[in-house]
Amino acid sequence: MEEIAIETRNLSKQYSQGVLALKDLSIKIKRGQCVGYLGPNGSGKTTTIKILTNLLKPTSGQAFINGIDVNQFPKEALRPVGSLVEVPGIYEYLTSHEMLSYFGKIRQMSSKDLDRRIKEVLALVKLSEVEHKKIGSFSTGMLRRLAIAQALLHDPEILIMDEPVIGLDPKGMKDVRDIIHKMLQEGKTVFLSSHLLNEVAETCNDVILLDKGVVVSSDSVAHLISTKKGSKIDVSFLRTLTEEQCKRISSLDTITGVEPLGDQIRIIYDGKPETSSKILAQIVGLGVDVVSFAPQKVTLEDVYVSVMGDEKGVG
Amino acid sequence: MLSLGADIREDLTHTIINVRYELRKHFRRKRIILAIALALIIPMMFYIIPKVRNVDFASTSISFMSNSLAFVSYLIIISAAMFAGDAVSGEFEKRTALISLSTPQRRSSIFIGKYVAALLAVYAIIAFYFAIVCIEVLGVYGLGGIPEATGKSFLLCLLYASAAVSMTFFFSSILKGVMTSTLLSFFTFLMILPIVTVLLQVGNVDPWFIVTYSAGLMTDVFVQEPAFSGGEGGRNRAMNAFTQSTPNFTVGVEVMAAYAIIMFIIAILIAVRKDVE
Repeated sequence: MEEIAIETRNLSKQYSQGVLALKDLSIKIKRGQCVGYLGPNGSGKTTTIKILTNLLKPTSGQAFINGIDVNQFPKEALRPVGSLVEVPGIYEYLTSHEMLSYFGKIRQMSSKDLDRRIKEVLALVKLSEVEHKKIGSFSTGMLRRLAIAQALLHDPEILIMDEPVIGLDPKGMKDVRDIIHKMLQEGKTVFLSSHLLNEVAETCNDVILLDKGVVVSSDSVAHLISTKKGSKIDVSFLRTLTEEQCKRISSLDTITGVEPLGDQIRIIYDGKPETSSKILAQIVGLGVDVVSFAPQKVTLEDVYVSVMGDEKGVG
Repeated sequence: MLSLGADIREDLTHTIINVRYELRKHFRRKRIILAIALALIIPMMFYIIPKVRNVDFASTSISFMSNSLAFVSYLIIISAAMFAGDAVSGEFEKRTALISLSTPQRRSSIFIGKYVAALLAVYAIIAFYFAIVCIEVLGVYGLGGIPEATGKSFLLCLLYASAAVSMTFFFSSILKGVMTSTLLSFFTFLMILPIVTVLLQVGNVDPWFIVTYSAGLMTDVFVQEPAFSGGEGGRNRAMNAFTQSTPNFTVGVEVMAAYAIIMFIIAILIAVRKDVE
């Protein structure tokens, strides 16, 4: 079996309006990995996912699932894939059971397996009670859950999801996270784009940061966070600092920067625990009354902002 | 990878599944009620109005039959637009393509399935219309009243329906909106092609290649002379406002078949290449 589950080679996509969404994009996702795909609006995340699921044809380059070219052999390539792209429309004249039956039959599932799996996935997405209800009456959240059920129906080896938690309530988000964790424990591959950085940080081992159709960073979440320069400590004091005290703190050799933060200050430093300890001793040594001293954890959001710049949100 | 035989069998299975689900869509939507109502009400009028007005029915069952079928072309156009108008454009407009086209099946299996389902739905409506007319003929003229040409007319109706469905399917594949493709189909069959036909005739050009002109054969088959030799046309020509003269039978059949096949092929080629942007 191929070690690489998902791969793109020099993938480019130019839309008819002239917009170049992807430029020679080459990524590799190993079997059993969970990779978060992040980038601002228009960075090319959805375009990549649409090419990988045969919804778009690339202008040049290739996309592979388990080594099979998606564009040339979509039927074969998509067999092990469960996908959820954007917010799909769902056939409102069918019941949940009928809709899932359609997708199961297309995937050649036997009637016995299909009935069992329909019950399982509907239970997984908490829609068991509406198995035989028409989809037309469903809320946005329910439709989203049903679309997720569709993606999981055939117990896919590879899961490709574009904004999977959009439209879900916090409980629904947690359910999706749990489903992904379970899939990863079973050795499956997950590739997901999300604008919720915390979701990605909690779910994925690795991230690919994309901007203007080009990969700007690709690494494990842990490594990106550990190498992030400029960790923070939020410090509050018994009395508001004088200008002179502020200057003296800023001039400490262990500190790379100080930002006012309301009644507090935010200290930027190298992130090492020994430095943090030294900073505390130095500030106390300056004779100011420290009320709290709280080193902040570096988050994926900090990494994202430092790579992409402040002005680019996650789309 | 599957062997060629297994691959073809799988494609066929996918197509059949798509036909079944598309038919389920047609039969669950309100539009089927409209089509059935039209197929029931139109022929019933030819029975009820003479009864209510206390006037005689047409002197022969042939006249009654051809009068009753004079409006079948409208039913075909309406049904084709309703059942095929959203076949391709609907998938893209309603974003269901995001879920259906990312499955391991050929796009051609999906769209051929949708085409066949639209065709079957329109055929069913036509069959229902013919059944009503035949029951009326039996009621008025007795067991021997069904004209010999009825079967031929029915087959011509199915052929014209195939052409209408293919044309609508083509519009659905090139346009993004369901409403646009449905309306364009209506206008093409009810206005554009009939106007072109008349203009061609004004210019003394035989409009043999216009499908709505060929559709005249559906009722012309009941007329003995000179229906199949070209010329002035049958007794119901006045009711069928499409044409002023009669199409040649063979050419008319060929034209309808050509529209059905060519438009279907072009539509499928376009549909399978469409990007889901």
